[in-house]
Amino acid sequence: MEKLAVIGLSNNKDKLISDLADLGVVEITERFVQEEQGEKKDPEEIDTNIGTKDSENFKENLGGDSGYAHDTLAADSENDRLASDNPKVIGGEITNENSVAGNVKTLENQGELDRADGDADYVTTIEGEMSRTETALETLKRYSKEKEPLFITKRIITNEKLKALLDRRAEIEGYISSILRLNFRLHMVDDKINKMNSDIAALRPWMVYDAPLDLSETEHTNIELGVLPSTVNLDNLVEKLNTLDLPSHVSVINSDRELIYIAAVMMKAGQEDVLGTLKQHGFTPLPFQGFEGRVSDNLDDLSKKVDDQRALRAELEEEVAGFGKTRRDIEFLFDYLTMERDRERIKSKMRVTRRTFNFEGWVPSHLKDRVEKVLERYGCYYEYRNPLEGEEVPVMIENPAFATPFEAITQMYSMPDYKGLDPTKWFSIFYAMFFGIMLSDAGYGLIITIATFVALKKFELEGMTKKMVKMFMYCGIATVFWGAMFGGWFGDLIPVAADVLFGKKVEIKPIWFNPIDDPTRLLVWSLGFGIVHIFLGMALNAYMLIKRGHFWDAVFDVFSWYILIIGAIMYGALGSSMPDLSKIGMYMAILGAAVLLLTGGRKNRGIGKVTGGLGALYGITGYVSDILSYSRLLALGLATGVIATVVNTMGSLGGRGIVSFIVLVIVGIIGHSFNMAINILGAFVHSSRLQYIEFFGKFYEDGGEEFDPFRNETQYIKILKESDGGEK
Amino acid sequence: MITGNVLALFGAAIASLAGIGSAIGVGIAGQAAAGVLAEDPKKFGRTLIIQAVPGTQGIYGLLMAFLIFIKVGLFGGQMQDLDVTTGLLIMVSGLPIGLIGLWSGIAQGKTAASGVMLMGKRPDQFIKGIIYAAMVETYAIFALLLSILILFNI
Repeated sequence: MEKLAVIGLSNNKDKLISDLADLGVVEITERFVQEEQGEKKDPEEIDTNIGTKDSENFKENLGGDSGYAHDTLAADSENDRLASDNPKVIGGEITNENSVAGNVKTLENQGELDRADGDADYVTTIEGEMSRTETALETLKRYSKEKEPLFITKRIITNEKLKALLDRRAEIEGYISSILRLNFRLHMVDDKINKMNSDIAALRPWMVYDAPLDLSETEHTNIELGVLPSTVNLDNLVEKLNTLDLPSHVSVINSDRELIYIAAVMMKAGQEDVLGTLKQHGFTPLPFQGFEGRVSDNLDDLSKKVDDQRALRAELEEEVAGFGKTRRDIEFLFDYLTMERDRERIKSKMRVTRRTFNFEGWVPSHLKDRVEKVLERYGCYYEYRNPLEGEEVPVMIENPAFATPFEAITQMYSMPDYKGLDPTKWFSIFYAMFFGIMLSDAGYGLIITIATFVALKKFELEGMTKKMVKMFMYCGIATVFWGAMFGGWFGDLIPVAADVLFGKKVEIKPIWFNPIDDPTRLLVWSLGFGIVHIFLGMALNAYMLIKRGHFWDAVFDVFSWYILIIGAIMYGALGSSMPDLSKIGMYMAILGAAVLLLTGGRKNRGIGKVTGGLGALYGITGYVSDILSYSRLLALGLATGVIATVVNTMGSLGGRGIVSFIVLVIVGIIGHSFNMAINILGAFVHSSRLQYIEFFGKFYEDGGEEFDPFRNETQYIKILKESDGGEK
Repeated sequence: MITGNVLALFGAAIASLAGIGSAIGVGIAGQAAAGVLAEDPKKFGRTLIIQAVPGTQGIYGLLMAFLIFIKVGLFGGQMQDLDVTTGLLIMVSGLPIGLIGLWSGIAQGKTAASGVMLMGKRPDQFIKGIIYAAMVETYAIFALLLSILILFNI
C-alpha cells in the first residue's frame, strides 16, 4: 500500500473521478495531517508560494507539455525534500497545501486558497431521487409476477447502451412517478380497508340490536349504548337502577369474555342518576357517531365496501405489475444515481484551489501503473510515499488462485493487521480437508461439487458470493475424496439398493477404512491432523517473531512447546514398543518444560519471574484442549455416516422388489437431503471454528481495515468500457 | 425381570433425552426468530437456519439410540440375549449424550436466540451468530464421541 497525492486542473476533475471509479483501485482519504508540523510557515509566505511561484508555475507547465511539467515538478519537490528533511514532505505543492491545512485558522480570512470540495446539497438531492427510485423498485418487486432469480447477477451494459438509456431518463422517471402514484393509492386503499375492518369488528357484537344507530333519543327518553366489564353482576345493577325515582331499562345485547354490551333506556329527567349508577359499575359509553340505520344494514354495507376496495386493490396491483417490463430500466437508473452520488460525495474528501484540485489516497503498490496511466491522461501531478508510523493503512489481501476463495473465511473473522500475516493460504488446504472429513460422504460431496460448479458456470457471480461458492466447490471435492477413503456413498445406499432391487450383495470397499469399524483409529488420526495444524500456526508465530528480530522469543515461546509436545507424545505413544525412543521423548518433554519454566517470566519483575514460568507451563492445558478439539472431525464424520445408514435402513424396511425400491428412493431423497443440509452446516461452521479458535489463536494479528477503493458500487449493472476492453 | 436387553434399551432411551434439550433450545431460538421476522419477513430463511442449530443434540441422541439398536440387533427383528453387565455397559454409553445433550441444547438455544437478534440488527454478521452457537455445540459433540467410544469398545 502506498499513499498517493495528486494535484490536477479543475476542468479535468469530473473526468478523472469517473475514470478512477471505473478503475476502482484507489481509496481516496481525507487528508492526513500530522499533528507536529516540522516548521510553521508564515501565512503570507505560503500565499506567495501558492499564488505566485508554485501554482502559476504549475498551471503554466500543465497547460503546455505535461511530460515537461512532471520533470520540473519532480525536480522541484526533490529539492524541497532535501531542504526541509521533513518525513511528511511528499512533493512541492502538496507540502505547501499540507501546511495550509495545518494553519487553517490563520488562513481562514485569506479567501479561497484551499478548501474542501463537494456539494452536500447536490448529494442530498440525488439521495432523495434514489430513495424514490428504491421505493418504486420495492413496489415493483412486491407486485410483479416475475420470479426472483436464485443469484442476482449484474447485467453488462456497453457505453452506447448506457447513453441510449440515459437519453430515455425522463421517460424512466415518468415510470417511477406512475409507480409511486400507484403505490400511494395502494396505501390509501389499505388504510380504508383497515378502518372499515375495525368498524366491522366494533359493530359485530351489536348485530342483534335492531334500532337505528342514529336514534339516540325519543321525546322523553335517552338511549345509551355502551359496555360493562364482564365481572359486573347484572342483577345487582338492575336492582340498584330500580331503586331510583324514574324508571329505566337495561337490555343486554351481547357479551363476551371481557365485556357486556348493553343498551340502556332512561327518562331524560333522571338521566344523571342512571348514568351515575352505570358508571359506578364501570360503564363506558360507545356512541356510534357517523353511523345511520340498523347495525346489520351497516355491516352488510361495510363488507360490500371492503370487497369493493379489495377489488380496487387487485386492479391497482395488476397495474403495478404492468410496469414489470420497466424494472430493468429503473434498476439501471438507480445504479446510475448511485454512481452519480458517489462521484459527488467523494469530492468532499478532496480540496480545491481556484483552478486546481488535490487529494490523497491509498493505492496498492502493485497496481500503481494502472493509476498512473489514468492520472497521466489528465496531466495530473502525483507523488507516492510509504505509510508513516502510526498511520492507519487499509489492508488488501491477495492469494494464489487456489486460496482466493478461502479469503471469505478470513474476511468473516477479521482482516489481518497491515503489519500482520494473511493466514488464508496457510489454512485453505486444512479448511477443505477438515470439511471433507466432517462431511465424509462422497455422494454428498458430489452433489455439492456439481451444484456449485453449475452455479459458477451459469451465473456471473461476484465478490463474496463467488468466493463462497467456489470455496464450497473445493470443499465438495475434498468431501468426495474423504468419502471415498471412508467408503461412504450416501451412506451404504448402493449395497442397500442392490439388495432391494436385485437381491444381490454388493460391497463398496473403502479405500482407507470405515471409521465405524474402528473409531479409535480415526480418533488418533484426527488428533494427529490437529497437531500438524496447530504446529503450523505456531510456526507462523515463530516466523513473525524472527522476522521482527525476536529470535529468542521464538525459541522460548514456540520451539520449547514443540519439544515438549513432541516429547510427551513420543513418551506416551511409544512407551511399550520402543522404550529407547520413549525415554528420549521423556527427556525432550522435561527439557521443553524446563525452558518454559525458566523463561516464561523473563519479561516480568521480582516474584513475577517465578510465577510467569509457572503460568507459561500451565499453558499446557490450553494445548491439550486445543488438540482434543480436533476429535470433532471423527464425531461429525461418524454422525453423517450413521444417519445416512439409518435413512437407508428405514427406506429398505419394505423388503425386496420394485415397490420397495420406490419407497427407498422417496425415503432416501427426503432423508439424505435433511442429513446433507444439517451436516453441511455443521462441517462449515466447525471447520471455521477450528481455524478461528485453534489455528488463529496461535499467531493471528487481526484488526486491519479492509481496503475499500473508490469504485462504481452498482447493484444491477456493470458498465463495459471499450477503452480497457472489459472488466478489470 | 431385568435382563441385559432391557438395560440396553433403557440406555437408548436415556440417549434420546438429548432431544429435550434440542426441543427447548429450538423453541427459544424460534421465539426470537419470530420477533425478528415481525420486523422484516425477508429474513425467514436465515432465521430458520439459526433456529435449526440447537437441533443437532436431538439428532445426536437419535443417532446414539440407533447405534444401540444396531448393537443389540433390534433392527434385525431378533434381539440378542445380553447379560446384565453388558446391558449396564450399553446403558452407560447412552448417558453422556443424553445428559450433556439435554443441557447443551438449552444453552445453545439461548445463544442461537441472541444470534437471531444479532442477525436482525446486523444481517451481515449472520454467520458469526451461528458460530457463537456452534461453540456450545462442541460439548455435545464431545459427549457424542464419548458415547460412541464407550459403545464401540464394549
